Amino acid sequence: MIWYIARRIIYLIPTLLIISVIAFAVIQLPPGDFLASLISKAEETVDQAQVDALRERYGLDEPIYVQYWKWISGIITRGDFGDSFEWNRPVSDLIWERLGLTMVISLFTLAFVWIVAIPIGIYSAVKKYTIGDYLVTIIGFIGLAIPNFLLALVLMYIAFRYFGQSVGGLFSPEYIEADWSLERALDLLSHLWLPVIILGTAGTAALIRVMRANLLDELSKLYVDAARARGLSELKLLFKYPVRVALNPLVSAMAWVFPALVSGSAITSIVLNLQTTGPLLYRSLQAQDMYLAGSLILLVSVLTIIGTLISDILLAWIDPRIQLQ
Amino acid sequence: MQPTHTRLDAATDEALLEVKDVKTHFFTDEGIVKAVEGVNLSLKRGQTLCVVGESGCGKSVTARSILRIVPPPGEIVSGEILFRQRDGSAIDLAKLNPKGREIREIRGGEISMIFQEPMSSLSPVHTIGSQIMEAILLHLPVTKQEARKRAVSMLDLVGIPRPSETLDAYSFELSGGMRQRAMIAIALACEPQLLIADEPTTALDVTTQANILDLIADLQQQSGMSVLFITHDLGVVAEIADEVIVMYLGRDVESGDVDAIFHDPKHPYTRALLQSIPRYDSRDNKRLYSIKGTVPHPFDRPTGCPFHPRCDDFIPEQCNRVDPQRIFLSGDHSVRCLLYPTAASHSPDEELAT
Repeated sequence: MIWYIARRIIYLIPTLLIISVIAFAVIQLPPGDFLASLISKAEETVDQAQVDALRERYGLDEPIYVQYWKWISGIITRGDFGDSFEWNRPVSDLIWERLGLTMVISLFTLAFVWIVAIPIGIYSAVKKYTIGDYLVTIIGFIGLAIPNFLLALVLMYIAFRYFGQSVGGLFSPEYIEADWSLERALDLLSHLWLPVIILGTAGTAALIRVMRANLLDELSKLYVDAARARGLSELKLLFKYPVRVALNPLVSAMAWVFPALVSGSAITSIVLNLQTTGPLLYRSLQAQDMYLAGSLILLVSVLTIIGTLISDILLAWIDPRIQLQ
Repeated sequence: MQPTHTRLDAATDEALLEVKDVKTHFFTDEGIVKAVEGVNLSLKRGQTLCVVGESGCGKSVTARSILRIVPPPGEIVSGEILFRQRDGSAIDLAKLNPKGREIREIRGGEISMIFQEPMSSLSPVHTIGSQIMEAILLHLPVTKQEARKRAVSMLDLVGIPRPSETLDAYSFELSGGMRQRAMIAIALACEPQLLIADEPTTALDVTTQANILDLIADLQQQSGMSVLFITHDLGVVAEIADEVIVMYLGRDVESGDVDAIFHDPKHPYTRALLQSIPRYDSRDNKRLYSIKGTVPHPFDRPTGCPFHPRCDDFIPEQCNRVDPQRIFLSGDHSVRCLLYPTAASHSPDEELAT
C-alpha cells in the first residue's frame, strides 16, 4: 500500500510539469503581449520606465522557455504567481481565499450529492420498475435537464420572496470584508445551503443514475444469490455485498467533482455572486488578465490531480483487487 | 457409493425432500416463461439425486425453487416442496415467504447450495473467511473466535492447503478449483441435511472436476447428508447418482434409480441422451448420434408432449395433442410418455378434457 502511494506520488511529478507547461501556453496564446493590453486599457499614459520595468520583470523580450522558467521558478521558490493586471495586485493575494471558499463549497456539495444520491440510487435499483423508481427517475431527469443558473434564479427568487433572506453571495454584507471569526464562519454556513443545493442538483441526478446502474449490475451477480442462499437477511445482504461493490466506481469518480465545480459552475457562481474561483477565472479570461488566468488554471489542475490521487488511494484501500492490477 | 446405501438401510426410509408437481413461471413483459412446468422428486436421507437435462430445461430453476431464491419476475405458481427439518417436522417450503425468517434459517443451516461458477459466487471484495464466518454466525450459537476456528477447520476439511492463511485471502487470489472448495466449505459449515449442487464442476477443468466430485462424495459419506446434484454430464451421473431425474422443458420426463435409467431407459428423450454420449469403444465409424432439432423457444412451447417435435417415436395425432401424465412402470421408475399406455392415454379426447 505504501509503495502504491509512493509510486502514485512519483507519477504526479511529470503530470504537474506538463500541466504547468499547458497553463503557461494558455497565458501566451492570445495575440499580442499582455503589456499591450495593459497599456491600452490604462487611462493615463504609462511611462516608459514602468513598461520597461515590467518587461524586465516578466522577461518578455526573452525566449518563451526563459519566460516559463521565470514564472515556474517564481511559483516554486517564492510562491510568486505574478501580478494581475486588472486588479493591479499580486495573483497570490487574490486567489487564496477564493480557492479556500471554492474548496469549502466543493466539499459540501460533494457531501450533499453523496448523502442524497446514494440512498435514492439504492432505492431506485432495489425497487426497479416500480412507481417509486419511475418517480425518482423523472425527478432525476428534471434535475439533470434544468440548467444550474436557472435553478439559481428560481431558488433566489423563492428565498427572497418567501423567506426574506438576503440571497446571493456567501456572506452577509457586514462580513464580506471582515477577518475570519466564528461569526463569519457561521454566517458562511447559513449562506452555503443555496449554492450547495443548486450546484449539487445536476450531480445528484447523475449520481442517482450511476448508483442505480452500478447496483443493478451487482444485484444480479451470483455472489448475491450465494449470500442469500447462506440465509442472510435481505437488508444486511444488500449493504454488505452489492452496495459495497457498487460504491467503488463512485469513489474513483469523486475527483471529477473538483474541475466540474471550479470551471463548470462559473455561470452559476456569477448569478449567485459567489466569491469562488469560477467568476474570477471567467473575468480574467475576458480581460486577458493572463497571469491570473494561467495561475488559476494551474491551481485548479493541481487540485484535480490531488483529488484524483486521494480517490485512487481511497479506492485501493476499499477495493482489495486494485493493488494487484 | 456403496457405504451410502448401507447407511440408508440402517436409517428410516423416509424422504428428506419431496417435491410435488412444482411449477415455477417467470412473468416477463413478453409473456410467461414456464421454466418449471411440473416437477416431482423425492430424495431420501444420505442419497444422491441427479437432475439431468439440456441447458434451459429448468434444472437450476428447480434447485432455486427449493431454496426459494428464484430471481424476480420468477414465482412458484403451484406445487409443494416438503422438507423434513432436523426436529422431525415437515415444512412446505413453497408456502414460505421467500424473505421471511423461516426460510432464512433453513438456507445455509439445513439446505445449502453451491453454484456453477465459483469465479463469481464469492464476493470480490470480502475475504473467504468473512463469508464462511458469516454463514457460521448466522446459524450456530458461537462466538466470533469459535466461528473463526470452525472456518479454518472447514477449509482444512475441504482440502485447502494452509487454511488459516486462506481464510484472509480474497477470492481472486484463489484458483477456480480452490474457490469451489471454499464454496463447499461455506455450504457445509453448518452441517446441512441437504446440499444442492448446481453444476458445481461445469466451469472447472476435468482433473479439478474429478477432485471436487470425490470431495463431495467423501463429505457426504462422513456427514450422511443428501445431495441434489444438477448436471448435464451423464458421465458424472453414472458415477455419483443413486436416483436420476431427466428433465425436458421444465418437465420430469423420466425418473428412477440410476440402474433403471442407464440400463432400461424408457423415455425416447432419455434414450436419445444416452445415445449421444461419445464412446471410444465403438468399432464402427458411425457418426455420433445427436437429437434432431433444438430446444424450442420458451414462448413457443409445443402442445401435447413437449418433446414430440424432436421425438423419433412420435405418434401423429396423439403426441401433439395429449399431455402425457406421469406413469409408474416398476417401483419408483416413472415416465411421461404415450408409448407406455395407461387407461387414460388410450382416449386422447378424454385426456384433453382434463
